[in-house]
Amino acid sequence: MTPTPDQDARYREAAETFGPALQRLAGAFEANAERRRDLLQDIHVALWRSLAAFDGRCSLKTWVYRVAHNTAASHVDRERRRHQGAVSLEAAADLPAPLSLAADLEASDALARLHAWIRALKPPDRQLLTLYLEDLAAAEIADITGLTPGAVATRISRLKTQLAADFKEPAR
Amino acid sequence: MTDRDPFQSLWTQQPQEPFSMTAADLARRSARFQSTIRRRNITEYAAAALVIGVFGWMAWLIPVPAVKTGAVLVILGALYVCWKLHVLAGAGTPDAAAPLADFHRNELLRQRSALAGVWKWYLAPFVPGILVFIGGVAFAEDAGVPLSAGVMLFATSAGFVAALFAAIWWLNQQAVAALDREIAALDAGAK
Repeated sequence: MTPTPDQDARYREAAETFGPALQRLAGAFEANAERRRDLLQDIHVALWRSLAAFDGRCSLKTWVYRVAHNTAASHVDRERRRHQGAVSLEAAADLPAPLSLAADLEASDALARLHAWIRALKPPDRQLLTLYLEDLAAAEIADITGLTPGAVATRISRLKTQLAADFKEPAR
Repeated sequence: MTDRDPFQSLWTQQPQEPFSMTAADLARRSARFQSTIRRRNITEYAAAALVIGVFGWMAWLIPVPAVKTGAVLVILGALYVCWKLHVLAGAGTPDAAAPLADFHRNELLRQRSALAGVWKWYLAPFVPGILVFIGGVAFAEDAGVPLSAGVMLFATSAGFVAALFAAIWWLNQQAVAALDREIAALDAGAK
């Protein structure tokens, strides 16, 4: 594959702007440090390859999130064939030892627990929640996921309620 | 969703590890990905080559016309499966920039299509060859085996192959049903 100047320039822009979000995304989809780094590299390669065919059908931001999430979902699918790990949103409520967010907000335990909670979700819910946590607007999330804005709002509301209940913190 | 909740702050303020990929890193890893796919295809073709080699050797070695014909038909079946694998492998890569729900649904449909068609393109091409081959072995005139024993040998061998193929088909149908449930759930969730 011969890179084009546009492809490289767009990749550099995307990596610079969204690099931290991509790293957080890899963390939401893979717990193992070595495989997480592999996933992050796969995401960057998929992004770089995809940008050769960037056709302006959506913004660069939407494009980046779509490619990154699709790559991460494929990674989860491959891993799922090897290990049965994902549980439903309902089952995630049964995760052990709820903590108080207020008490642990500053502690790494809270972040570790949040990661564990997200990774226990099925990929579609995981995608929605991580996009919400990145502070994207509902319309942007709908554009990235292909869901209707109503479906996005309903499902994020359910996820927030469940998340807040598990962390003993009221949903906002 | 402009209201920033504590979880968003916790999430976006998490510590980052140093990470960067140069153009050379990207090209190298991309090439590695391609070579993994090539290796996987070569493994599949090698399995077909083994079948072709073994049955070709038997067709050359065994002087019974029906056995030779059966072996040649098995070889033709293996060649057809190879061609089908080649067509499936070249069917194009998924659109990585598709909306997540479409990408996921298309992947499920792709898996479903491959599994649902296993009987047609992976098993059926071998059926004529296998039946003629075991028929040739069971009813070979110079083997000196009584007709009843030949019928028994043919029925047992054909039954074993039929059971094996039925088991593969059944397992695939289970996987197809699971994919159908997943697709239905996806469609319901998208509304």
